[in-house]
Amino acid sequence: MAHTKLATAPRTVRRFSAWAIFQHAAIIVLFTLLLVTGLPQKWPQLAVSQWAVDWMGGVFAARWLHRMAGIVFAVLTVAHLAVAVGGVLTRRMKPTMMLTRQDFRDTLQNLRYYLGRTEEAPRFGRYDYRQKFEYWGLIFGSAIMVATGFILYWPILLSRLLPAELIPAAKAMHSNEAMLALLIVLVWHLYGAHLNPDVFPFDSSIFTGRIDPARLAHEHPLEYQELFGSREAGAREGAAQEAAANAAEPPRRPAGGAAGPR
Amino acid sequence: MNRTPPAPGTRASAAPAVALALLAWLPLAATAAAQDVPEGVEYCLACHEDESLTLELEDGSEMGLGVERESYMASVHGGELLCTDCHQGYDSDDHPSGTTVESRRGYVLSSYEVCRQCHFDTYTRTLESIHYEYLKAGLEEVPVCSDCHGAHDVADPHQKQAMVSRSCASCHDRVYQVYAQSVHGKALVGEGNQDVPGCADCHTAHSIADPSTAAFHIRSPEVCIRCHGDEELMAPYEIPTEVAATYLADFHGVTATLADPDEVEERQLVVTCVDCHGEHGIVSPALMTEGEMKAQVAGVCAGCHEGAAQDFPAAWLSHYRPSFSHAPLVFLVELFYTVLIPFMVLGLALQVGLHLYRVAVRR
Repeated sequence: MAHTKLATAPRTVRRFSAWAIFQHAAIIVLFTLLLVTGLPQKWPQLAVSQWAVDWMGGVFAARWLHRMAGIVFAVLTVAHLAVAVGGVLTRRMKPTMMLTRQDFRDTLQNLRYYLGRTEEAPRFGRYDYRQKFEYWGLIFGSAIMVATGFILYWPILLSRLLPAELIPAAKAMHSNEAMLALLIVLVWHLYGAHLNPDVFPFDSSIFTGRIDPARLAHEHPLEYQELFGSREAGAREGAAQEAAANAAEPPRRPAGGAAGPR
Repeated sequence: MNRTPPAPGTRASAAPAVALALLAWLPLAATAAAQDVPEGVEYCLACHEDESLTLELEDGSEMGLGVERESYMASVHGGELLCTDCHQGYDSDDHPSGTTVESRRGYVLSSYEVCRQCHFDTYTRTLESIHYEYLKAGLEEVPVCSDCHGAHDVADPHQKQAMVSRSCASCHDRVYQVYAQSVHGKALVGEGNQDVPGCADCHTAHSIADPSTAAFHIRSPEVCIRCHGDEELMAPYEIPTEVAATYLADFHGVTATLADPDEVEERQLVVTCVDCHGEHGIVSPALMTEGEMKAQVAGVCAGCHEGAAQDFPAAWLSHYRPSFSHAPLVFLVELFYTVLIPFMVLGLALQVGLHLYRVAVRR
C-alpha cells in the first residue's frame, strides 16, 4: 500500500500494515502468556507463584501452555524475519529499522537536548533510535529465548549434539533474558507508548495502523517530509541531511523498516 | 518435683552436655517421686503391685495384672494420673468385676482410645495414618498408642533413641537395620545424637502416610530440607545448606515445589533427594568418591531420561553454585546478566528521567 505524495496531509496517515498490527497484537498475547506461565517457575517459593500455578491447573498444565506459546512465538519470529528479509531483498520494503550512524548521532544529540545543552531536538525518520533499540532488543531477545527454550524443551536431544553443560546455561540465559525483557518493557515500552507526555495515555497507532499527521510531523519529521514535502521552516536542513544519506547508500535510507511496507 | 524433667525435645537444645545434665536428674527425680505416690494409686497398688496377679482370658492365655511402682512413677504420667483415670469403671465397689476379654490384643484394642481424652489432637492425627487404614481393615497387629508409647511406663516421646528402637523397629526391623547403618542411624543409635532424624522425623509420629505414593515422593524434599536448609543445625557438621537451595533452583526442584502432591501422577515424578542419596540407607557423600557419586547420579538420570548422551548428568551441577571451576559457562551467563540487567534498566530509566526533566522543567 504505497502512499501517494500529497500536497496536503490527510486526516490520518497510514503508518503500519495489517501484518505489523497483527504481529504486535500477537506479541502482546504471547508475551503475557509466556510471562504468566514462566515467572512462577522462576520464583516457585512465592505464594503468588503457587497461586498462579494452581489457577492454571498445576505446574504441568502451566508448562504445557508455556511450551505451546513458545512454539507459536518461535513461528512468529521466523515469519517476521522471513517477511522482513524477503521484503527488503525484493525491494518491496525499505530497511527502515536498520541501525545507522545517524542513530548514534541522534542518541547523543537527544541526550544533549534533554540536558539543555542544545535547543535543537534531533529530527527522526520513520523510526527513531529508541524504537530501533527496542526493535533490535526484541529480535535478539527472541532469538535467545527461542534457542534456549528449545534446548530446555529437548535436553536429551541437545545432549547428543553438544555438551550437556549447555542445558543449565540455557536455563540461566532463558530466565535472565526473560527478566531483562520484562524490565525493558516495564521501563522503556511502558514509558514510550503510554506514560510519555507526548502520547499519554496511549499511543494507538500500532492498533489502528494510523497516526495523526501532526504527531507524525512532530515525532518523525523526516518521514513526514518525505511523504508530504517540506512544510516547516527547519525542514530544509533535515531534507539536506536525508539527501546526503540517500546519496551515500542509494537504495537504503538512514531509517529502515522491517515492520511493514509503505 | 514429682516427675521426670523434660528431655531435650527440640533440636536446638539437644547439645550432648545439656542432655547429660538432664539425665543426671533422672534418679533424683525418681527418688523424689517415690515419696509422692497419690493415695488413689497406692490403693490399687496394694493388690496390683503383686506381679503374680493374672487373669485368664477367653483364648486361654493369661494376662499379667501387676504394675511396677517404679516404672509407673518414672513415666511421664507418674504421680499425675490415677489408675482409674485410664482404667475407667474399676473404681467402684464391684471390682474385680469378674469380666474377661477375648485376648490380650483384644484388650489393648478395646482400651487404647482412652488416651484421646487428653491427647485428642494427637489421636485425631492417627486417624489419617496408614496404620489406622490397616486397623480399619481388621489387621490387629498395627500399632495403637500404647504399642509405641507403652502403657504404665510412658516415656518422653522426644527421646528419639528410645522411640525408634522400641516402637518402629519392633515391627519394621528390616528397614531399621538398614537405617541403623546409615549416616543418620549410626549417629542416633550409636552416639545418641539427637540432631539426626529418627523414623518419626521423616514419617511423622502419628499421621504416618503411605511412603510408596507419588505424593509422598514429591513431598520428600520438604522433609530433608527442614534440617538440611537449617544453617544453625548444619553448621556443626559443616554441611552447606546450599544443597537445599541448589536442588530447589533446579528444574526438578521447581517441579517438586510447584506440583500438587495430591494430583501428581507416577509418570510426572521428578528426582528428589532420596533418588540419588537413598532413604533409609543414606551414606554421607563425603565418604563416597566423586566417581561413585557420579555413577549413582548417572544411574538415576538414566532411569527417566532414556537415550541421553553419556555426559547428560553434567546438566545437573551437583549442588555446586556455578563458578569458574564448576560450570564456568553457567557462571559466565549469570555474570553477564548480573551486569547487563542493572546497566540496561538504570540507563533506560535515566533517559526516561531526562526526558521528563526536559518536558517538565526546561520546556
